[in-house]
Amino acid sequence: MSSIITVSGLHKHFSVPKRRAGLWGTLKALARPEMTVVRAVDGISFTIQPGELVGYLGPNGAGKSTTLKMLTGLLVPSEGEVWVNGQVPWRERERYVASIGAVFGQRTTLWWDLPVVESLELLQHIYDIPAARFRDNLAQFRALLDMDSFLDTPVRSLSLGQRMRADLCAALLHDPVLLFLDEPTIGLDVVAKERIRQFIQHVNSEHGTTVLLTTHDLSDVEKLCNRVMIIDQGRLLFGGGLPHLMERFGGNRELVVDFAEEYPAVDVEGAAVVARDGLRVTYQFARQEITASALIGRLSARYRIQDLAVREPEIEATIRRIYEEKLLESP
Amino acid sequence: MRLFWELSKLSFARQLNYRAATLAGLVTNLFFGLLRAAVLEALYGSREEVVGISLQAAITYTGVTQALIAFTMIFGWYEVMDSVYSGEVASDLLKPMNYFTFWLARDVGRAVATFLLRGLTIMAAYALIFPIIVPQGAEQWLALVVALILALLVSFAWRFLVNLAAFWTPNALGIGRFAFILSWFLSGFLMPLRFFPDWFQAICSLTPFPQVVNTVVEVYLGLLTGADLLRALGVQLLWAIGLILASQLVLRAGVRRLVILGG
Repeated sequence: MSSIITVSGLHKHFSVPKRRAGLWGTLKALARPEMTVVRAVDGISFTIQPGELVGYLGPNGAGKSTTLKMLTGLLVPSEGEVWVNGQVPWRERERYVASIGAVFGQRTTLWWDLPVVESLELLQHIYDIPAARFRDNLAQFRALLDMDSFLDTPVRSLSLGQRMRADLCAALLHDPVLLFLDEPTIGLDVVAKERIRQFIQHVNSEHGTTVLLTTHDLSDVEKLCNRVMIIDQGRLLFGGGLPHLMERFGGNRELVVDFAEEYPAVDVEGAAVVARDGLRVTYQFARQEITASALIGRLSARYRIQDLAVREPEIEATIRRIYEEKLLESP
Repeated sequence: MRLFWELSKLSFARQLNYRAATLAGLVTNLFFGLLRAAVLEALYGSREEVVGISLQAAITYTGVTQALIAFTMIFGWYEVMDSVYSGEVASDLLKPMNYFTFWLARDVGRAVATFLLRGLTIMAAYALIFPIIVPQGAEQWLALVVALILALLVSFAWRFLVNLAAFWTPNALGIGRFAFILSWFLSGFLMPLRFFPDWFQAICSLTPFPQVVNTVVEVYLGLLTGADLLRALGVQLLWAIGLILASQLVLRAGVRRLVILGG
């Protein structure tokens, strides 16, 4: 199967005028501005297959949004090649954007002072959607996103969750083959997030829409994405499945044991005691060295055990570790 | 075409909602119109006419130009600039539509609404106060309508071009102010261009700005007839085409330069 997105050697550099201190500095900067080059995206390559749902992760300022802006044709790269759905995004913008949908979570694509439904009807004309298809899609999305209560409300009066639902609907009315989402759940409460996730999942599985989303919420990734890409300082650090990521960088698992009686020493080979609180002892062990069942076997052979639980390392902590400790130094 | 109509309609409806702003604009335009009429009346003194323009025509001139302010946005327009700086431009560029046509459609809706609400009201108020001149015959009315449409096209293309400066610099407001003062001054808004010395008229005629105001008023007053009239409309048309083409080229370059801030 051929890729729907192919990115190779993508760079985006911005020249930012350097500020200098004092009046003299300002005057000098005026006469001969000194520019600093910011490498927002610094040589990225990847491919995405049709029907994939890919999460694009990275700390703030890593280059996620810049990549997304290039993929949607809003920015022209400094260097490198991008092919999306057989087109170069920025070359024939008008033709290209007709085939994609995009939601930039921080701002709306709808018209601020129009009721939601009028904005959507305007989109029907902009995308030239046949009336029957528009009606069907709108009816479907209305139900899925539970939009009936605010269809006649002007966009400026919507709550954040409502606005996000309206924006998602707006991005999909023309049946795009690709959907770009920049932080679609930012600032939403748990219920609203869940609704948005279910909707994205639905669109991906039922319509076969390929989705690329950026997010800071790792539950988004955990629940939605079959693949993640991690970017930092403009470079791609990791690309692969979540289980694979956890296996490589997951750190240690934990075993929490409640003993039936007090023992003076509770040491066991293959695991280290990290906490002890009365009858409850927490062990840490590496998955490469020992399996959970082997460890439990060793413990139960020696001690009487009341209860136990295995704790997987949290995704959130893992990703944080990757960012902070720069575990993924690029070659 | 359908989209153009829908966008114009929405923009028209939006304009009708700005009731307070419309009323305030109307009062201001009318007040300054009367002031300008009084100044001209004083300057004319006992003279019947100056360079072929009677006092009655001169007073009508102030009325027509005041009525054109909102229609052609002579004093400036910064909406595209604002949308670039707010980042809204990103949403518009993500839609499969020509960015120039998108704004033109909205401007047409706005212009028609202000023409009806402000332009016609000012002319009606003038007609009550002064014995103003009114175009005669179907031919002159037709010429006036054509001149108004072309004036709007020239004015829009110019305003759009000026606003595109925002695609290059993070603060284009100064460029905008300068450009709009220039176009206001050279358009013949202040006084009929015929009043000015030849060298000044020659400078003005090298710019598109007289096409926005002076030509419209000369057509209205019937100062142009026959071949002169056709030539004037032809010149207007050429400027409209030229500026529209220029704005397409600049837009294409600008979109490639654009840096969308935020998010």
